[in-house]
Amino acid sequence: MIVAPSQTPEAAVEAVALRKSFGPIHAVDGIDLALPPGRIYGLLGPNGSGKTTLIRLLTGLASATSGTVRVLGVAMPSRSNLARVGYMTQADGIYPELSVWENLRFFAALYGQTDRAAMIKSLELVDLAGRLGTPAQNLSGGMRRRLSMACALVHNPAVIFLDEPTVGVDPALRVQFWEHFHRLAADGATLLVSSHVMDEADRCDELLFIRDGRVLARGTTAELRKRAATDNLETAFLKFAGDSAGSATGATSAKETLR
Amino acid sequence: MNRRRVAAVFVRIVAQFRRDPRTLALLFAAPIAIIALLGWVLSSSGTTTAHVAIVNASGNPAGDAIVLKLTTALQGQPRVEIASDVHDAATARQRLIDKQLDLVVTVPADFTIQNRKIEVTTLGLNPAGESGVLPAIQQALIGAVAQEAGAVLPTIERTSVYGSPDATQLDTLAPVVVGFFVYFFVFILTGISFLRERMGGTLERLMATPVSRGEIVMGYSLGFGFFATLQIALVLAFVIGRFDIPSLGPVPAFAIGLGVKTIGSPLIAYLLVLVLGLGAVSLGIFISTFARSEFQILQFIPIVIVPQGLLGGFFWPIDQLPSLLQPVARILPVTYAIDGLRQVMIAGADLTSSAVLLDLGVLAAIAAIFVVLAAATIRREVA
Repeated sequence: MIVAPSQTPEAAVEAVALRKSFGPIHAVDGIDLALPPGRIYGLLGPNGSGKTTLIRLLTGLASATSGTVRVLGVAMPSRSNLARVGYMTQADGIYPELSVWENLRFFAALYGQTDRAAMIKSLELVDLAGRLGTPAQNLSGGMRRRLSMACALVHNPAVIFLDEPTVGVDPALRVQFWEHFHRLAADGATLLVSSHVMDEADRCDELLFIRDGRVLARGTTAELRKRAATDNLETAFLKFAGDSAGSATGATSAKETLR
Repeated sequence: MNRRRVAAVFVRIVAQFRRDPRTLALLFAAPIAIIALLGWVLSSSGTTTAHVAIVNASGNPAGDAIVLKLTTALQGQPRVEIASDVHDAATARQRLIDKQLDLVVTVPADFTIQNRKIEVTTLGLNPAGESGVLPAIQQALIGAVAQEAGAVLPTIERTSVYGSPDATQLDTLAPVVVGFFVYFFVFILTGISFLRERMGGTLERLMATPVSRGEIVMGYSLGFGFFATLQIALVLAFVIGRFDIPSLGPVPAFAIGLGVKTIGSPLIAYLLVLVLGLGAVSLGIFISTFARSEFQILQFIPIVIVPQGLLGGFFWPIDQLPSLLQPVARILPVTYAIDGLRQVMIAGADLTSSAVLLDLGVLAAIAAIFVVLAAATIRREVA
């Protein structure tokens, strides 16, 4: 179900002056975003840089301290709009005692997906169609991750948030995941994929470097490499981080947090 | 409220139970085992024999006459055995301590026709158990002394408005046990299930779907209500029904079910317990907010469950509680369930009874309050 509203919004995901504070700490500190549809956006930054908080704000799971979010032209939080949004959390978020099929059927029902063929297809895409009856607790870690992804994509969402989807996933499967993401984007879906692994960055259409709740830089990998005058994206990240902190110590601390 | 999403939550909870045979066994076998044990204990506790010695410490003939009268009177009593070989107070005392005697009746040294004081001594380690034999002894004592004085005692015949005056403890306890079990199990199971939902990251995933908080609470209520229904039906059938199985070869005859006398409608009893159980579902969801682990859910048992057991009319009538505790008892749901169940099962009240309607209404109101509280704790903003 790819939703194509009559007045297609310019951006699939849009944030204006988005800010989220926990007391004195600004987890998201004034982010403006406009993500045109049909592309894969990589959200890169060290642990604690605000990636998960940003995704939770964009999905409406967290309420913003200030600023606005629109997804597919609808102001978030909006419960009904979530039927067009897929969100794969860092935790697997599946029921261990339920079988693969029972897990998928449950999330499909909540999203309003009734098409059985589409449900089977989302399991085929993650290579789990042969394990319908297996309890999730008997699956390997990688398989649970795949089931978690199938549950997030079972309703063919137009906007997809993936929070570190490849953590704990072996390299061969990681390649499969990315091929899958590119197929979804080619079909018109908008994907925002967070990661703290720089070697995944090259697979994204566009990158957002994020640190301390702010977007340091945005662009294609080629643009960012050119602007930072380096082939190494990690070096590029550190350069932008250093520029933003305005000192060499900023770059050093960024390098430390990246490790 | 979307019916399909509520149904999805319901189906999921049923599937989770189906894949957890141990919890299912706990839900159905445990209450039956405990109620059977209770029935067994209560039915045999009244049939023990009291060993009694009667001692004349005064040494005067008036005392001897009393001892003789008492002995004759008590020998006629069921469940009383007179120890005829004890004749002095010191031996009697030692026998009490050795637990060979349960009770000693002493005609004291200063006993005279004018000063008719008689002492009754028990061990004092288990006052409730010891007092069980006292009424028969007292009756015999009064009778003996009165006869000595040449008077005839009136006989007293007891009746009660509801039930039977010789209703056993089991008959009055059974309704209470039914309600309490359901409350306890539903609370614990919902609390732990929902805690897992919060801790395991599945609640976060639910919040990222179009499902509403109300739909989640409704789905949970239906799911746990379904299992509570099965549990109530089984426990009520066990308490009310009685199926005697004749002896077969080496297996002695035994009975399944307690056969508790109830005159009310089991359906109304069921309704009361179900409304109580639905309140427990929401209470479990609500409490799970304040726990970080299964162990911490168990820590709520002494806070949430035990006070209801103590104050809810389980052991003492509400009117006999200290005046400060009475208002507390009156806000506890178990209080109303116990009262309602007693009205229905012992007094045979039906839905025309204002007392039963009040109990049902209060239970429903308490359940509604906790539904709102539970829904309020399921927030989109979880982390």
